[in-house]
Amino acid sequence: MTSLVKDVKQLSRGWRWTHRPLPPKSAEPHHSFPPPSEFPTEWARSRPARAAREVILRVGLTPIVRNQTTLRVEGLDIFDDLDGPVIFIANHSSHLDTALLLTTLPIEWQRKVAVGAAADYFFDAWWRAVGSALAFATFPIERGGVGLSETPTRLLSEGWSLVMFPEGTRSPDGWTRRFRLGAAYLAHAAGVPVVPVGLVGSYAAMPRGRGWPKPGRPEVHVRYGRPVTVQTDEDARSFGTRISAASATLLDEDRSDWYGARRRAAAGETPSPAGPQVAGWRRVWESTASPRSGAGRAKAWR
Amino acid sequence: MSRPGFVLDVDERTPPLLVHSGESFRLEEFPLGARVVYPPESLPGVPDVDEAIEQALLNPIDSEPLPSLLRAGMRLTIAFDDLSLPLPPMRKPDIRQRIIEHVLEYAAAAGVDDVQLIAANALHRRMTPDELKAIVGERVFRSFFPDNLVNFDAEDRANLVHLGVTDKDEDVEISKRAAESDLLVYVNVNLVAMDGGWKSTAIGLASYNSLRHHHNSQTMVQSRSFMDHKHSQLHSSAWRMGRVLGEHVNVFQIETTLNNDAFPSQYGFLTKREWEWSLRDQALFLGAKRGIDILPGKQRRKLFQSMEAPYQVTGVSAGAVEPVHDQTLARVHRQQLVEVDGQSDVVVFGLPYLCPYNVNSVMNPILAACLGLGYFFNMYVGQPLVRKGGAVILHHPVPWEFSTLHHPSYVDFFEEVLSVSTDPKVIEQKFEEQYATDPWYVHLYRTSYAYHGVHPFYMWYWCAHALDHVGDVIWVGGDRRAVARMGMRSASTFADALEMASDTVGRAPSITYMHSPPHALAHVK
Repeated sequence: MTSLVKDVKQLSRGWRWTHRPLPPKSAEPHHSFPPPSEFPTEWARSRPARAAREVILRVGLTPIVRNQTTLRVEGLDIFDDLDGPVIFIANHSSHLDTALLLTTLPIEWQRKVAVGAAADYFFDAWWRAVGSALAFATFPIERGGVGLSETPTRLLSEGWSLVMFPEGTRSPDGWTRRFRLGAAYLAHAAGVPVVPVGLVGSYAAMPRGRGWPKPGRPEVHVRYGRPVTVQTDEDARSFGTRISAASATLLDEDRSDWYGARRRAAAGETPSPAGPQVAGWRRVWESTASPRSGAGRAKAWR
Repeated sequence: MSRPGFVLDVDERTPPLLVHSGESFRLEEFPLGARVVYPPESLPGVPDVDEAIEQALLNPIDSEPLPSLLRAGMRLTIAFDDLSLPLPPMRKPDIRQRIIEHVLEYAAAAGVDDVQLIAANALHRRMTPDELKAIVGERVFRSFFPDNLVNFDAEDRANLVHLGVTDKDEDVEISKRAAESDLLVYVNVNLVAMDGGWKSTAIGLASYNSLRHHHNSQTMVQSRSFMDHKHSQLHSSAWRMGRVLGEHVNVFQIETTLNNDAFPSQYGFLTKREWEWSLRDQALFLGAKRGIDILPGKQRRKLFQSMEAPYQVTGVSAGAVEPVHDQTLARVHRQQLVEVDGQSDVVVFGLPYLCPYNVNSVMNPILAACLGLGYFFNMYVGQPLVRKGGAVILHHPVPWEFSTLHHPSYVDFFEEVLSVSTDPKVIEQKFEEQYATDPWYVHLYRTSYAYHGVHPFYMWYWCAHALDHVGDVIWVGGDRRAVARMGMRSASTFADALEMASDTVGRAPSITYMHSPPHALAHVK
C-alpha cells in the first residue's frame, strides 16, 4: 500500500497533475502540441457565480483594498453617459491592478465585466484557474499566439465588458511597455469603445514577488479616461495607436493636471509612459516611489 | 508523420523516465543535465505487404526475378532466421511465413519437387514444432514438417560440407543441403543493423568449425560495433566466408525490415515519450506495474513471453546479398538512427525481459550481461556512447536462475568458468574447446532443446568490447552474488549506482540514458 501511494505521488509530481503539462525544454522542437483546449469559464458567469463574486468583491476585496492602500479614484463621471459593453484597457505592473480596477468600478458595471488573464499563468493550475475565474470572472488569453480564442468576442456580443492589459504581462520596472494590438483589434472588430484606465502606484504598493500590499497604506491612483471609439475608415492599427496615446495622456494627467496634459497631447509632447531611458535601477527607483496626491498642488486656501 | 529520434536534456520539467528492468519496469528520476537518447517514432508500414513481397521477388536487385530461377527438377532450399528474431516475436502472420508462402507459390508453379526448409539456427537451440509453426505458418508446416522443414544441425557431420577457406584462412563449413542446392533462398528479419547480409547464411548455416574464426574474443573486441558491419571484424569475417559460399551456391537473399511497434497497444506507454503520457497512459503504467509486481514469477514470465509485437513491415528487398543488405541498412537506419553529439562518462541502459536467446525461457545472468554489454552497448555507429574508461549502469535483477532445458552448459560455465576468470581471452584458451566438444552438450544440442555447449562462451565474448572499453559496470537491483560472479558490482538504487560510479568517473559525470526498447542506434560523433 505504501509503495502504491509512493508510485501515485511520483506520477502526480512528475506529470504536474495540478498544472498544465509542459514538455522538457529540449523536447519542445520535437513535441507536437495538442490544440490548446480552453479552460471552461462559462460557469463563472452564471447567476450563482456572479452572486458569489459580488460577495467576494464587496465584502472581501473592496474593504481589503481600501484598508491596505490609500486609494484615489478619478474619472468615474465617464460612466454617467456610457453604455456597455466596453473594453477597459490599463497599464499593468502589479497583481493589485485587477483588484483595483474591479473594486472601483460602479456596481452595475462590476456585475458584468470579465477579465482577460494569461492562460499560461492563471490557467496553468486548475485551482488557480477556478479561483481567479470565480473572484475576477477571468477568461484565458493565450499569450504565445497559439490561437485566438472566440471567447472575448462572444462575451462582448453577450453584453459583457472586458478588462484587458495590452502589455501582455506585468511591467518589470513599473513603467508602461508597448501595447499589443489584441484589444484594439477586438474593439475594432466588435465596434465597442475602449476605456483607458491609468493605474499609478500599484507597482510601488505591490511589485512583482509580493502577495500583499506593502505596509503603511501606500497610495494608489485609479484614473478612468474618456472612451475612445473607432472612427469611420479607421483601421485597427491606427485605433491601437490612439488607445496607447489616450493611456499615456491619462498617466501624464495623473502626474500633472488635466489641462496641462491636454495641452501636451495636442502639441504631441506627452511624456512617454515607457519612462526615461536611464539605467534600470533608476527606472525601478522612480517607480517604487509612491505617488503623493497632495504634493505640488496649490491649496485653495493659503 | 513519424517524428525522428532526438537527444533530450533532462531539465526541471522532465518527468521521471521509464526504465526497463527484466520482467518489470520502473520510473527513474535522472539528474538534471543528463542526456536521453529517444528512438525515432515508428515509421508507417508498407501499405500492402503482399504487394511489396511480389515487387521484391519480381524485381530483385542484381538478380534474375525469382520465377526465372526456378525450374522443375532443381534442388531448392529455403533457409530462414530462427526465433531469436524479431524481439518480441511478431504478431501472426510472421513476415517469414508470408514471404515463404510467396516463394513456394512460384516453386509450385515451376514444378519444383525437391524443396527443403531449414531454420538457420547455427548453434542456437532447436525450435519446437510449435515454434517452427509460429514462424512458417500452418500451411507450410503441414506441407513440409518433419522431413523437409528442419532445424539446422551444426553437429551432423554427414550433412555439413567444407567449401574451402577464405583469404584469411578461415574455414567455410556449412549445411551440405544448402551448399549443394541449385538455389538457396534466405528469408531474413532485419530487426537491427547487425542482422542480415552474409551473416544470415555464412553464420546461420555454419558449424562450430567455421564460427570459431569470428566468434572469439579477439574478433569480438575488434568489432566496433556489431551494428556497423563495415567496422566489425565479425562481419568482415562473415562477408569473406559469404563470398566463398557465393562461389558455390546461388543465394537469393530476401531481407525485411520492421518499424518500432515493439509492444501491444495496452503497453503503448512503453513506446511513448513520457511527457506525452496522458492520464490514461499513467493509469496503464501504474496498473501494469502493480499487476506485474504482485504476480508470481512463473505467471509474470508467462505474461511477458506471451507478448507479441504488432510490428509493421517497412520494406522488403530481394536479390544479391550485398546490394540487398545496403538497401535494408538504409531502412533500418531510417527507423533507428539518432545523432548524438559526443560521448559521456556514464551510459545507462534499462534491460528488458527478452534477448535473442531466452525466447520462451529464462534470462540467466550471462544472457543479461550479453544483452547489456553485448547488444545495448554496441547500439552505436562511430564511437561508443560512453568514453573509454567510463561507467555502464544496467538496470536488471540478474536472477541466479537458469533453464536446464535450454541452457545446460550455461550452468556449468557460470559455476566453473566464471569462478576461475572473467577475462574472455583466458576462458577462451582454457575452457572453450572442452565445452565445444563435450559429448553430453552435443547430445543435448542435437536431440533436446539446448543451446550448444560453446554458446555461453560466445555470449561472454559479445561482452568483450564493452569489458575492454569501460572502467566500471554496475547493475541496479542485480542479485549481488550473480553480479559478483561476473566480476561486476551491484547497487540497490540508481542513486547508489551513480554514487558508486563516482569512484570511476568523478562526482559530476556526464550521463547518457539510452531509452530503449524500441531500438535506437546512436550515431555518436
